[in-house]
Amino acid sequence: MDLRPGADSCYKCTSCDTSCPVAEVDDSFPGPKFQGPEQWRLKRKEDTEIDDSIMGCSNCMRCDGACPSDVPLSQMHNSARGEYVDNQMDKLSREYIRNRILANYGTLARLGSKVPRLTNAVMGNSLVQKVNEKVLGITAERDFPEFADETFRSWWKKRGGPKVQSEEKRIAYFHGDYANYNTVEVAKALVRVYEEFGYEILVPDQRCSGTPMFANGMLDDARRSAKVNVENLGDAIENGYDIVASCTSCSMALRQEYPEQFDLDGTETVAANTYDALEYLLINENVIDPIRAVDGDELDLPDFAYHAPCHSRNQGLDRQAVELFRHLDGVGVEDVGDSCSGISGTYGWKEEKYDYSMAIGEEMFEHMEHAEGETGMTECPTCSMQMEHGTGYEINHPLEVLEKALVETDVEV
Amino acid sequence: MSERTEVLVIGGGSTGCGVARDLAIRGVDVTLVEQGNLTHGTTGRMHGLLHSGGRYAVSDQASARECIEENRVLRDIASHCVEMTGGLFVKRPEDTEEYFQKKLEGCRECGIPAEVLSAEEAREVEPFLAGDIDKAIRVPDGAIDPFRLCVANAADAEQHGARIETHSPVTDVLVEDGEIVGVEVTHESGPGKRVHGTEGGTEAIYADHIVNATGAWAGRIGDMAGVTVEVRPSKGVMTVMNVREVDTVINRCQPKGDADIVVPHETTCILGTTDEEVEDPEDYPEEAWEVDLMIEELSKLVPMLEDARTIRSYWGVRPLYEPPGTGTADPTDITRDFFLLDHAERDDLPGMTSIVGGKFTTYRLMAEKISDHVCDLLGVDAECTTADEPLPGSEDFSVLRDYMDEFGLRSPIGRRSVQRLGSRADEVLKTDEANPVVCQCEAVTRAELRDAIGESGTDLNDVRLRTRASMGNCQGGFCAHRMANELHDFGGYDQPTVDAALDELWQERWKGQRHALWGQQLSQAMLNHLLHATTMNRDGAAPEDFAAFDTGEAPDTAGGLDDAGDATGATAPDGGIPVDADAMDRRDGGDAGGD
Repeated sequence: MDLRPGADSCYKCTSCDTSCPVAEVDDSFPGPKFQGPEQWRLKRKEDTEIDDSIMGCSNCMRCDGACPSDVPLSQMHNSARGEYVDNQMDKLSREYIRNRILANYGTLARLGSKVPRLTNAVMGNSLVQKVNEKVLGITAERDFPEFADETFRSWWKKRGGPKVQSEEKRIAYFHGDYANYNTVEVAKALVRVYEEFGYEILVPDQRCSGTPMFANGMLDDARRSAKVNVENLGDAIENGYDIVASCTSCSMALRQEYPEQFDLDGTETVAANTYDALEYLLINENVIDPIRAVDGDELDLPDFAYHAPCHSRNQGLDRQAVELFRHLDGVGVEDVGDSCSGISGTYGWKEEKYDYSMAIGEEMFEHMEHAEGETGMTECPTCSMQMEHGTGYEINHPLEVLEKALVETDVEV
Repeated sequence: MSERTEVLVIGGGSTGCGVARDLAIRGVDVTLVEQGNLTHGTTGRMHGLLHSGGRYAVSDQASARECIEENRVLRDIASHCVEMTGGLFVKRPEDTEEYFQKKLEGCRECGIPAEVLSAEEAREVEPFLAGDIDKAIRVPDGAIDPFRLCVANAADAEQHGARIETHSPVTDVLVEDGEIVGVEVTHESGPGKRVHGTEGGTEAIYADHIVNATGAWAGRIGDMAGVTVEVRPSKGVMTVMNVREVDTVINRCQPKGDADIVVPHETTCILGTTDEEVEDPEDYPEEAWEVDLMIEELSKLVPMLEDARTIRSYWGVRPLYEPPGTGTADPTDITRDFFLLDHAERDDLPGMTSIVGGKFTTYRLMAEKISDHVCDLLGVDAECTTADEPLPGSEDFSVLRDYMDEFGLRSPIGRRSVQRLGSRADEVLKTDEANPVVCQCEAVTRAELRDAIGESGTDLNDVRLRTRASMGNCQGGFCAHRMANELHDFGGYDQPTVDAALDELWQERWKGQRHALWGQQLSQAMLNHLLHATTMNRDGAAPEDFAAFDTGEAPDTAGGLDDAGDATGATAPDGGIPVDADAMDRRDGGDAGGD
């Protein structure tokens, strides 16, 4: 795809560079202006070579939000990274193999979750972690996320699917891999909250949204996933369902990256009908009055330090949780600022990026320590890993809080 | 002061530089004078098209044959100035099949490789071509950097003992005893490299023979000598796009017309052009309708041009000539052939030969014929070798290298630098010092700039033409001052000199942008203006006396960007600020001074 015309919108103002968390801590990274409009503008048709610094980009996509004139920065980065991996990366190199494994975490999770306890024991073993670092380049500093004893999908199947039938109110849940294999409680919270509001829920067949694949330039893998998702979600939309996701990177991929990267039939329709789970409720339901009616002191809820993921920021969702829970008496939710958490999906898992990842996260950790609450809150799975890793706090998803407030009380919704 | 030389060449365009190189290689003592920078005239204001000859394959087959021959020569001897993009003659539904076939036959008759592509095949080559085109003919058109080519010719001439003097307009032609014996030139800043603010002076240069290679200005030199050379200058507009929408030269397959070509040039595309006779090659109207016409017409071939960003437009004048009495009314019908006018035969005034007409692609062939003529006159017995000897920069080189390893440069920056420098890349880019990118739009590093400054004195426009620094989408907004800073850091020039050089570059950049002030480039121009005004005070709005400003004593400056507080300070009658301590003491704030 020729993205050179995208450079027409660039005024060289450098807002993107000043918003780039990687450029701030990694002096060898030239920044998004170079990676995007500059590198593209300098291209000729026969120039296939992409500068290897493209692999230093963490795919946080903050440059998209920073740009005052709609330069398609992350699209340029994604495409350039894809070209770099296709044409210049040694497919037998440790880096490629490691990135492929990280990008296809869902495939491994499917295997690991078959024997969750064994997997957790093995992956939690410090020797295994050392081997991972030495052999694969996956940092030993981080604890591997634990697999749930039962995946969300098998719980859903056992439960017999939806408990609520409705012709008008229908959502198809894009849970992604993480809520299915690891944080099943988030997915269950979504089901209970939405059913409380009278929605019929569909859990369509799906694959990873592709976010970690984009971030590692594995565009063929991402395309395969996208094809399945666009087909199945498209069918759901035909049948009157809107798509909701509980992970903001998943909704980001469906909304922005699919139409930007793939010429598949139906990407535009899927993008136009996809929402973040909390966003969708706030658009379509009165959530605030029931929240106000709850006596927060009765609930067993701590104060929270809330971090908005970069990918939620890009969808304009960075204030929604804080603004909603402001109405929940007795529960403080404090925004810990607008910095990036630094883990950025698979970025912070790479041994050579770990220190950068923690340096980027430093500001967030400080703000979390400073906040009243000693429990974290965020929508993004990997942000929550980083928050926990840096502070030791337990981290919740806004949907879990919503479940506690609206489902476990007998408040009218 | 005066100087003797065997041959004096007037004009530092492609013809003049080509002649200087050719004669110097043959062992002739040459001096070349040019009124501005090299390529100041027509050469610097062309499309950048290296003709395959396809354009003339129907109307002027002799020119077409010369073009394809020289096209092959230049690919060989000037490879670092040439990009072999290939070209397409695109037929739209409203263009005649008859002419398409004529074009195809014409190309084949002239030995120009030509193949027909279906609309689909053409769009495979260039995805942004219009959806409703019929078909296309593929020919070996290319893109060429005229400045780089002239610099290489001049450099090679210098290496063979020639003297090259830029910024030295001819102010008189010296005639003695019915013979032209030399010229008087006025050096803007003394002989040698140009330095702003240096005292100039005049110099008489005596020569055995003079070559008037001033193109559209040939009539003026003729006037000074008292002979008539009737050049008919014809202007044409070129509009520069911000990105390469196409990587192939796109021609409209029509007999003739305005706005029928798009040339991918370096990081941009250049749209052209018009053909309109003007009185004066230096003073003619540059009109908005001409730019509008380019975009409107060429959008029919490449629709995205309609809304694409334009960074500037410029105009050039063709030095058209036809023998007296031909009387062609329409300048587009005037031949593109060149004429060698020996004033001894023509006007009974020996000592000078004028060259008029011609075109850039065949510059070397013209230079060869002129040099042969001059050598005959001077009795020099030497063969022309310019078709075989590569220009400096085009000796064997490859752009396929490990830029990070060799030069410490990121690949697109290293690649663009090597494409510009050719075989000089190692000598210029291998440096032990830090080598930051100074111009980000065009990927120009400090080492390349310093190399250019070494050749150009304080002339930042010359540095610009050598390196492309400040020729990208911000048009110098983010790098013009950095370039100027190198004049100080590396060149050791003082502040007034550097300021003058910077102002001149800035004005030149503004000149072309005036014709692109809508949409994105308008925003860019405003951003540039405010950046320079508010961070470097280059609009001179704030007071010079910062001490007074800091204490809040500075007056409100009309039209200034910042509101200087409540202006309690009095101003002197002349609007300036009293700065001596006594004056400060005498002031009783609140009372505006002056009477």
